[in-house]
Amino acid sequence: MQSVESKILYNDRLAEGYFRLGLQWKTPEVRAGHFVMLRVSDGMDPLLRRPFGVLRVIGAKGKSSRGTGIELLYRVVGRGTGILSAKRPGETLGILGPLGNGFPVPEKGQKVVMVTGGMGIVPLYMLAQKLGQGTLLFGARSKKETFLLEDFKGLGLRIKTATEDGSAGAKGLVTALLEKELAPDTVVYACGPMGMLKAASRLCAGAGVKCFVSLERAMACGIGVCLGCAVRTINHEARENRNYKMVCSDGPVFDSRDIDWELL
Amino acid sequence: MGTPLKKKLPKNPLEVTIAGLKFKNPVMTASGTFGYGAEFVPYTDLEKLGAIVVKGLSLYPRQGNPGPRIVETPCGMLNAIGLQNVGVDEFIEKKLPLLKGVKTHVIANIFGETIEDYMEVAKRLDRVKGVSALEINISCPNVKKGGIVFGTDPQEAFRVVSAIRKSTRLPLITKLSPNVTDIKVMVKAAEDAGTDAISLINTLTGMVIDVEKRRPVLATATGGLSGPAIRPVAVRMVWQAASVARVPLIGMGGIMNAEDALEFIIAGAAAVQVGTASFIDPDAAAKVVVGLEEYAQRHCVSMKELAGSLKLA
Repeated sequence: MQSVESKILYNDRLAEGYFRLGLQWKTPEVRAGHFVMLRVSDGMDPLLRRPFGVLRVIGAKGKSSRGTGIELLYRVVGRGTGILSAKRPGETLGILGPLGNGFPVPEKGQKVVMVTGGMGIVPLYMLAQKLGQGTLLFGARSKKETFLLEDFKGLGLRIKTATEDGSAGAKGLVTALLEKELAPDTVVYACGPMGMLKAASRLCAGAGVKCFVSLERAMACGIGVCLGCAVRTINHEARENRNYKMVCSDGPVFDSRDIDWELL
Repeated sequence: MGTPLKKKLPKNPLEVTIAGLKFKNPVMTASGTFGYGAEFVPYTDLEKLGAIVVKGLSLYPRQGNPGPRIVETPCGMLNAIGLQNVGVDEFIEKKLPLLKGVKTHVIANIFGETIEDYMEVAKRLDRVKGVSALEINISCPNVKKGGIVFGTDPQEAFRVVSAIRKSTRLPLITKLSPNVTDIKVMVKAAEDAGTDAISLINTLTGMVIDVEKRRPVLATATGGLSGPAIRPVAVRMVWQAASVARVPLIGMGGIMNAEDALEFIIAGAAAVQVGTASFIDPDAAAKVVVGLEEYAQRHCVSMKELAGSLKLA
């Protein structure tokens, strides 16, 4: 975990509202599912850092997960990402990270299914890269977002797409694709909107399949002290003992059975 | 010999004494923004700090409020964490030992729903090695009293602080709420009850509404506003408090850097606490110390001399 000033290597527009950001940083070990907190402005407004999932490590040699930088993909959704999108190469940004627990690796013999919605695909890249196999179910609103798949082609994955408007792949929700993939020896990794995660969790629970979800919540610190990013959890073995866990320091990846989806 | 007499800077210009305790510098962390301290080890040098004030402790563990618990606001943030904490016993057993050997003061912030709760928490921390002082949070709702808040009623504040005074030999710092008409009344109540110092301000009550949904953003509707947005209010209240206070004041509210901290000290605070800034930069409080050192050198002034040195026309 570090707090550093990092130089922007590139901040390229990929499509309307979507950017690819490269940051120079002699990284510690960065694993799939880790995130970073970025300070997009030196001023007081916006005040807080923003969390971003890491797409990949730049310049990692061999099997090392340390590199000379990180690459992120982000969508402009508000003021913070708006400011970020106007940054030029050579400018600097404060990075705090890598943060979070990351995805656990699958057990031997488990069939991997990744299910993602929109930008939720980003934190799964390093997992897909590491495994070099498995199924990726990609959900999007329309064909316009399918460029997000470009990075994942050539990683050895079986890729299936669903779009809400049917402009690419199957028409409908990505969770409809998931239903057909739930063999008993499967492990599911999911990241995307809450509704999608909830549906994926329910399907997996019904099929007795293990499912790991990566959650997103507004957070101020990213290091488990502001206690802002709380999610209600259940001890799925005891079925009681409910308490709050922090997305930043206990997660962002959780066993989907531990999340209280009703009270979230 | 022609050169004017230059004032000599005291040996430890940042050192301050509050409630009988010597602090290497006047910079503390604000409760609720620094966890139990150990969380910041990867990012900052805890020994650079004058004191660490830990997350508010209650008699039993508290789960806190449902989410959303925070929302960003212009130059600030609103929070409604709901005083989530591990409880005083787990703090003593598991969290405090993590700070063993760290050469700085640890101040335990405490709160309760009843006066009896406050007293019991204070008792359990009394004589615990490694705890230098107690900071009493009197800004939380008094559930038994049906929503009256200890921090906004001077008689209630007097009652709770007096009771704690009898429960511990530790120095007491009473943390005041800004959500009152006249802060001077609260200062007097806390002093009459025997507090050794006063810290202020806690967060200001605020609200943000999602106009699309016509709902409050926070699950609890309202929350506490912190960050640089509240600093001028906080400086004003410290200045007002200083006009009547007999005990030392610890100022806080949106301090982001040394210059901000200096405003509070000049207004009358003996020390300061850095809060929300630690979320943005976990090393923020230590950087304030560096900035104060520079100022002390440049102006050849100690923090003791600077406190309350505001010049009015």
